[in-house]
Amino acid sequence: MLATVFTKTIRDRWKGSVIGAVTLGLFLLMGMAVYRNIDLTIYTDLPEALRALINIPADADIGSLGYGAIYSSYGALTLAAIAISMGSASIAGEERNGTIGLLLGNPRSRTYVLVSKTASLVLLVALGAVILWGAGQVVPAILDVDIAGMHVGALVLHMFVNALFYGFMALAIGAWTGRGGFASGVTAGVMVVAFFTAGLLPVVEVLENLARVSPWYYFEASQPVVNGINWAHLGVLLSGVVLFGAVALIGINRRDLRGQNSGVTLLDRLRANPRTKRVVDRLAGSTRVSHIWIKTASDHQGLLIVTAGTMFAMMGVMIGPMYSLIDDRLIDFADVFPDTLLALFGGGDMSTAEGWYQLETFGLMAPIAVMVVTVAIASRALAGEEARRTMGLLLANPIPRSRVVLEKSIAMAIYGFVVGFATFAGVAIGSALGGLGMSPGNIAATSLLVSLLGIAFGAFSLAVGAATGRVKMAIFVTVGVALGFHIWNALLPLNESLAVYVIWSPVHYYLGSDPLIEGMNWAHGFVLAALAVGFVGLAVFLFDRRDLRQTG
Amino acid sequence: MKSAIHTEGLTKHYGDVVALVDLNLDIVAGEIFGFLGPNGAGKTTMIRTILDEIHPTSGRASILGMDTHEQSVEIRRHIGYVPGDLAMYPNLTGGDTLTYFANMRGGVDWAYVDGLADRLNADLSKKVGDLSSGNRQKVGLIQAFMNQPDVLIMDEPSSGLDPLVQREFQAMMREVAADGRTVFLSSHSLSEVQRVAHRVGIIRHGRLVAVEAVADLRSKAIRTIELVFDTPAEASVFEAVAGVRDVVVNDHHVTLSFDGHMESLLAVVADRYTLVDVSTEEADLEEIFLTYYRDGTS
Repeated sequence: MLATVFTKTIRDRWKGSVIGAVTLGLFLLMGMAVYRNIDLTIYTDLPEALRALINIPADADIGSLGYGAIYSSYGALTLAAIAISMGSASIAGEERNGTIGLLLGNPRSRTYVLVSKTASLVLLVALGAVILWGAGQVVPAILDVDIAGMHVGALVLHMFVNALFYGFMALAIGAWTGRGGFASGVTAGVMVVAFFTAGLLPVVEVLENLARVSPWYYFEASQPVVNGINWAHLGVLLSGVVLFGAVALIGINRRDLRGQNSGVTLLDRLRANPRTKRVVDRLAGSTRVSHIWIKTASDHQGLLIVTAGTMFAMMGVMIGPMYSLIDDRLIDFADVFPDTLLALFGGGDMSTAEGWYQLETFGLMAPIAVMVVTVAIASRALAGEEARRTMGLLLANPIPRSRVVLEKSIAMAIYGFVVGFATFAGVAIGSALGGLGMSPGNIAATSLLVSLLGIAFGAFSLAVGAATGRVKMAIFVTVGVALGFHIWNALLPLNESLAVYVIWSPVHYYLGSDPLIEGMNWAHGFVLAALAVGFVGLAVFLFDRRDLRQTG
Repeated sequence: MKSAIHTEGLTKHYGDVVALVDLNLDIVAGEIFGFLGPNGAGKTTMIRTILDEIHPTSGRASILGMDTHEQSVEIRRHIGYVPGDLAMYPNLTGGDTLTYFANMRGGVDWAYVDGLADRLNADLSKKVGDLSSGNRQKVGLIQAFMNQPDVLIMDEPSSGLDPLVQREFQAMMREVAADGRTVFLSSHSLSEVQRVAHRVGIIRHGRLVAVEAVADLRSKAIRTIELVFDTPAEASVFEAVAGVRDVVVNDHHVTLSFDGHMESLLAVVADRYTLVDVSTEEADLEEIFLTYYRDGTS
């Protein structure tokens, strides 16, 4: 497997692709199993406009609902995320690890390295797609679900090309800048915004056509699972792939390779300037390193600013005034909306402002945003210092291991609350701007619960990192578990006999009590806080007893 | 004398791999102890075990009389540590890095830190990620020395340092020892240990092969001796002396390796020939070291 750059990359990266795809296959099994046990007329009786909005065909059945719920959203996002992580690591990752010089010390051109890395990216995303296609065939067979007329292959092909689009975008940014974190961050941001706008804009009559600027539109708007492959749409995505590939090729060949140095930030410039030096020295220097938790928080400040800013401005302030613009047809049909229909997006019906905000902001985006920061900090808190080989030096100081865990947990929790607060502030302002009259107390309650949920999953990630010392494990296990619980929480209530089991999903303690309408449910808040404290305690226990890893 | 580092039957297994076997060591306060061994011999495992980074499979260790596991936090108030393959936070400057650790340790005299930075010619204003490996190593050394610890534990600390800085670093180690404090120096470079250490421990495949004072080792050392006579010499005369090996005779010149008492050799020589010149190369630990390894493999 070490014969070429291509095969080595496959060897290093195949696991992520396989694990991601197999997990989604299992979620499909779970989803279809639930849909099989419920009366689907609640969906098929819906008015056309509504069904179009949420991608449910007129002859909706278990198959299309299962594929739509699991593959079209989570599946496509996951496969794209795998492509992004590979794309950003391709060139920039080798530079970060300081191995690019060694690699190019061999008689191979930069173009050869880029093409090899790109080929392995395409192959591994294809591998994931093939597994998803296989699961899409096997799961209905196991459950005896009729999928006649369903175009699983077309859906998976759309998912594949869609994933390549984002993977190549990350590749291009990484090849051009040499910054892996920047490449994956920007691309993931673009993907989330694209996903969001493709879903949101069609709801507003005047903005319907604007949805076409979102790349996500070309993945799912044609409903490939029902209508088959849309070559025109795929063509748009493929042009993007080709464009990004060309940009990457030019980028890698034209610039100086980066060493492992960290680059110059705005703060560094201010620090070098004699006029600003004194203040900035204190801020970026002595204050920043005064405690472990402050340093940990400061290491992730860029991520916090972007995430909290997005939640405040885009998901908070902007959403309010848009409510008055929603297509009236949708609101008229509000009374026929089945309660459980939008459960996957956090529920909420659009006839009320609360339902609108729940659907757009609190259902999916807010928990994701909080988890992005809490899991990013928590997964790297212990395992990251081990991988970077700084933990030995840190623990050579007279501090117990438990203090490292606790201080890092504090940073994680503060960030979770900051994102929650940004969401609260944005939604409160958005509600006021749109004249929606939502209760600020209830918005605060919901924001507090989403912070606690994110912190609980962050603490879980911390415990996984404490047990294993591996960052990737801490991230992927947490994301898998969170996604599993989310789907569990969304689908189980559809089936009366299974509905009681919903209490075993932590996600239930976030929106389960309808906090936007009902206000704070302290018992639920307590459950989430207890989970967070419990996992931090577990992390302390596990980390204290383990040998530190010597290398990443 | 007061014990600085003490281990009893210290053993560490990684699954089936045995990294450290039954290590018994006693290092006294005020000494510089060189811990020698080739790559993979178990030096780093020993250090990580006594720092409580990893837990011993069996045996125990103490530093300054405190158990390395039970009292690890208290121990770390009194030690300075330079890990092998040093890594620090690339986005912090050298100064920030030192401040970060100083906040955790307390008792750091910044004038002393500035003095160390001057001596090592270290730039503390640059980000660690932008420094060359040698300059990064200097920051690592300063953080270990900065709180004037009672015990310095350093794993391959000279890597990447240029000869001038190495010399200064050696002077710093001697000062620590002169002050009654202790240096534990792991290295595979003998020349460094030879210059500064009082005693050396030699480790091989996880086992301590020998612990000797550097002076004793030197006296045992094989030295190369070159003799010049006024008449041509015969090899057999020298080969008859105990401890003589590898005799090469080139007319009036004789070169030989010798690990006995100089007196016995000179007695034989003076009896037979008129000695015009004699030179002897300084005893080299490198050779002793290799001898230990050769013995171990045979």
